[in-house]
Amino acid sequence: MAAVPQLQRQFIEYTTSLYNEGYLDDQFTQLQKLQDESNPDFVAEVVSLFFEDSEKLLNNLATAIQQKSVDYKQVDSHVHQFKGSSSSIGAQRVTNVCVHFRNYCEEKNLDGCLRCLQQLKHEYILVRNKLEALFRLEQQILQAGGSIPMME
Amino acid sequence: MCKKLVQMMQGKIWMSTNSQGYIQSTSLVLRFQIQQTFNRPMFDLTNFIDQPKSNSIFRGLQVILADDDGVNRMVTKKLLEKLGCQVTTVSSGFECLSSLGPTMSPFHVVILDLHMPEMDGFEVATRIRKFRSRNRPLIIALTASAEEQVWERCLQVGMNGVIRKPVLLRGLEIELRTVLQRAGERLSS
Repeated sequence: MAAVPQLQRQFIEYTTSLYNEGYLDDQFTQLQKLQDESNPDFVAEVVSLFFEDSEKLLNNLATAIQQKSVDYKQVDSHVHQFKGSSSSIGAQRVTNVCVHFRNYCEEKNLDGCLRCLQQLKHEYILVRNKLEALFRLEQQILQAGGSIPMME
Repeated sequence: MCKKLVQMMQGKIWMSTNSQGYIQSTSLVLRFQIQQTFNRPMFDLTNFIDQPKSNSIFRGLQVILADDDGVNRMVTKKLLEKLGCQVTTVSSGFECLSSLGPTMSPFHVVILDLHMPEMDGFEVATRIRKFRSRNRPLIIALTASAEEQVWERCLQVGMNGVIRKPVLLRGLEIELRTVLQRAGERLSS
């Protein structure tokens, strides 16, 4: 089993890279700061809910976009919700795709929308994988008896 | 900390020292806006306006939060609780109105997402303002929009403040405090 300091360094490096590459932003930091003894699993809970909701939204989006006559207002409404939830947890790249997606909805540009949906799925899966990796690292640190470093 | 509070109130604070470097006096300049007075007093808010320097201004503040998105609800609720508020969440305009009831309103502040399906924040606020009761809660809008027209419309329907999304603790704190202080000023005028 790797030593705690090593794991902690790995954690810091990984987290830093997530911020530098734009996967996460300050909203995520805020989430971590909201976690405390009275609510030790807060971040995991919010992120799990985000994963659940996102998967539903992506399904709804796929259905809406495959309609013979696409209801762009409906599509936009789903994207708006996705934009809101992703921005509250700090999933910056997902939010950015949502912004472009909404523009295509306004233009009723089917091609643009289809491309954005693909991109959205892609970015969502990326951030989900990265957050899951981050949580695994945290678990390893805790199991080795260490504490999670606070990122500023 | 004093400096921060004063700067939030758009004022200035400075210390003057004597020749030996000891603090001689503190000067404070604050700007006050003349507010329109309401005919009827806000209820129960006196507890929350007498503590200018700490976050105990929020302790026990009863807040109802209406947002149709689960993730946003969870995050905003936690932020409010961090400030000391007691929070009830609802996921629609309808639920919000029924929780407020036609006459008795146990909530001090209503925080409303503007963009909710079926009944949006503007509609909810308009209906709240129609209540004949003396106990009218303060209403704060939550919106991702930075457009002036949106903010103006909020004021038009009788809202007391606006918070931009995504919500940050500082922004929430500042706007809540401002809205409470303004209400307090009306109370004591």
